[in-house]
Parts: sequence; structure tokens; C-alpha cells
Amino acid sequence: MLPTTAAALAVLAALLAWPVPALLGRARWPRRDPLVALICWQAVGLAGGLSIIGALLVHGLAPWGHSLSGAGRALLTGDPARDPVRGDHWVTLTLAAVLAAELLGVLALSWVRTARTRRRHRELLELVVQPSAAAPDARLLEHPAPVAFCIPGARPLLVLSSGMVAELDDRQLAAVVAHERAHLAEHHHLYLLPFLAWEAALPVLPAAARAHTAVRELVEMRADDRALASLGGPDPRRTLAEAIVVAAGGGGGVADGALAVGGSALGARVRRLLDPPAPLPAAARLAALLAPGLLLLVPTALLLAPSLL
Amino acid sequence: MASLGDLERTVMDVLWAADGPVAATGLRDALAGRDLALTTVHTVLSRLEAKGFVEHDDARPRRFRPRASRAEHAAELMHEVLGRAGDRQAVLARFVGGVDPEEARLLRQLLAESGPDTPTR
Repeated sequence: MLPTTAAALAVLAALLAWPVPALLGRARWPRRDPLVALICWQAVGLAGGLSIIGALLVHGLAPWGHSLSGAGRALLTGDPARDPVRGDHWVTLTLAAVLAAELLGVLALSWVRTARTRRRHRELLELVVQPSAAAPDARLLEHPAPVAFCIPGARPLLVLSSGMVAELDDRQLAAVVAHERAHLAEHHHLYLLPFLAWEAALPVLPAAARAHTAVRELVEMRADDRALASLGGPDPRRTLAEAIVVAAGGGGGVADGALAVGGSALGARVRRLLDPPAPLPAAARLAALLAPGLLLLVPTALLLAPSLL
Repeated sequence: MASLGDLERTVMDVLWAADGPVAATGLRDALAGRDLALTTVHTVLSRLEAKGFVEHDDARPRRFRPRASRAEHAAELMHEVLGRAGDRQAVLARFVGGVDPEEARLLRQLLAESGPDTPTR
């Protein structure tokens, strides 16, 4: 018989693999508070992985004990299985091991791969471009397309193209720089990394791609918010929106169909700058922060608590 | 004391400006103002070679030349930045990703509608 723990974990895993990401991806409140939404997404990803692997593990170890702690203790002390070990126990145990290895392996692989590409970019930049005395972490790249980006890492670099500098006035340029500095200061690349890895590891799961896209958009909105807090001037919201529109329209453009998918997200970004939605009420914000905590607590408790039976 | 990165850039500048391959002694002489030891020049050259920016020929003494021009390196970087890889792989965070002309037009319209005369809160 399937222990209730495994069944509960399987139900949670199913919820987190489909309806929960679908609802969170479609919800409108995240643009009112991107940081809280980012925390929710991290919890969904982590709890999802934990519950699916946990469900497989608990079912596979059921002959040794009806909870992970019980079965683990039995295995460590070399106690024989209390119930006969059937084929499905071996299958779920193997699946749990394969899934855990794949998720962690892909995560490590993306980490190494992006670190290598970043190092290469940094080497190229440091060779090709003279640093300016005014901003030692910024580089001006000679290129007509209006482009700005940052390379995260121990020695982060902020890069502006000459096309970007030519098209924007000083206040707009300051807004772009503040946006990129916000990415670096809050280590947004780390928020993205697990979702990038999950999407690569689970291409059959639409929720993985949806989560990745949502987190990518939220990270941009969060950087906008943080940039606004540090910007002066009469109307920083409009200044930043103008900078986005100029950068989008200035032929930075690879008019590549695959890239244009992100376009409507850009519209949402500009819209919330020009017409800011009301911030979440304190109670809603608290609830949205408690939910991810609970989401992580449930599978952990199910895994660690002694058998519910 | 100049950093290694600074020296690497200076050496590349000399190599890019030179007409043909340059020997290490030639590089030291070209950078006479910096008063570099020949071993330092060799260190910098081997670092540049390991990174794939410089190659040497079989002459004795060995002569060094850049593998690609400065413009080619800049173009390689921009190609990756503007391409799909840079956008999707979280290697870098780009301010605004690629957008098709129709989307760009809609964004401009959005901005125009809110108009600078009707300031937003």
C-alpha cells in the first residue's frame, strides 16, 4: 500500500508542476510587487523538486519504513525490509535518483557554462575597451545599436554601447545605468539560474518554461523599481520608460521572431512605469510572503516527520 | 604598478598597430617607456596566447601576432550579446531584449499617449 506521505507529496508535486505555476504566471498582482513574486517563484521551484523526488523516495523506501527517517534508520542499521520489496519500489527509487542527479547536474552544468562564457566576455571587453577613470566598472563598446548590459560575477562589468550613449540624454542614461546596477546589486542572475536549469532539464514540462519567462520579466521589473528609488529628476518613471522605448526602437533589433516573444513583456514594463499600479496592501503582502514559507515547510515536514500512519 | 590586465591591453595595442608579427624584444622596445623586463613581456604574451588572443610563428626568436583585429573581437562580443544565446542563457542581463518593429511602434505609442504634458503620478 502506498504510504499517505508519498501520496500527499505526489499530490503536492502535481499541483506545483501544473496549476500553481499556471495561476502564478497569469496573476496580475506580481507586477505590483515583483520582489515578493520572485520569492514565490523560488519557493514553487524548490518545493516542486523536493516533493516529486520526495514522493518517489518515500514510496521506494516504503518496505523499510513508512517515513524517510524511519526507512533511513532501518537501512543504516542494516535491518531487513519489513515488507517484500517489489519491482515498483526499485523503479521509483531509480527514478528518484535519476531525477535528483539530473536536476542538480544540469544546475551545476549551467553554472559552469555561464561562468565560462562570462569570463570570456569579460576578457574580450577588458582587452578591447579602455576603462574610463570616472566609472571603473563601466565599459563603452563602439557599436551603433543602443545596447546596455551587465556581466555579473566577482568583478561585475557594466557595458554601454556608443549607440546607446548617442541616443539617450544624460538623465535617461543615468536611469539605464541605475537599472543595470540594480541587477548587479541584487544578484538577479542567481534568481534566474535555477529556472534556466529546470527548463533545460525538463523540456517536457511547460511550467518550467513558463516559470523561466515569468522570473525573467519580474527581475526586469524589480530592477526598474530599484533604479527608480535611486533616481532624481522631475519624473524618473517617465525618464526610465523613455529609455526603454528608445533602446527597443533603435534597431538594437535583431527582428528575430524568437526574440520578439519577450516584446509584450516590455509593454507591461513600460505600462507599469507610466501608470504605476497601487502597491499590495500590507495584509496581502504578508500572505504572499507566508505562502512560499508554507510551501517549503509542507514537503520538508512530510519528509522528515515520522510516518503519518 | 600597472595591472596585468592593463599590460595585456597595452601589448595588444602594440600588436594591433604593428605591420606584421613582432618578437618579444620588439615589444619590450616598443614599450620602453614602461621599463618592462623581458620575462614580464613573455608572461603577458603567454597569458594572451592562453586566452586565444595571440599566436606565434615558428621563427627564432618567436614572433607574435594578434589572432583577430580589435574590431573583430568587438563584433564577436556584440554578436553574442545581440543573439539569442545572450538573452536566454542568463549570461548577461540586457537592458532591453530584441524587439520587432511593430512592438517598438506600440511602445512609442504607449509613451506618446501618456504624454509629457499629462504627467503621471
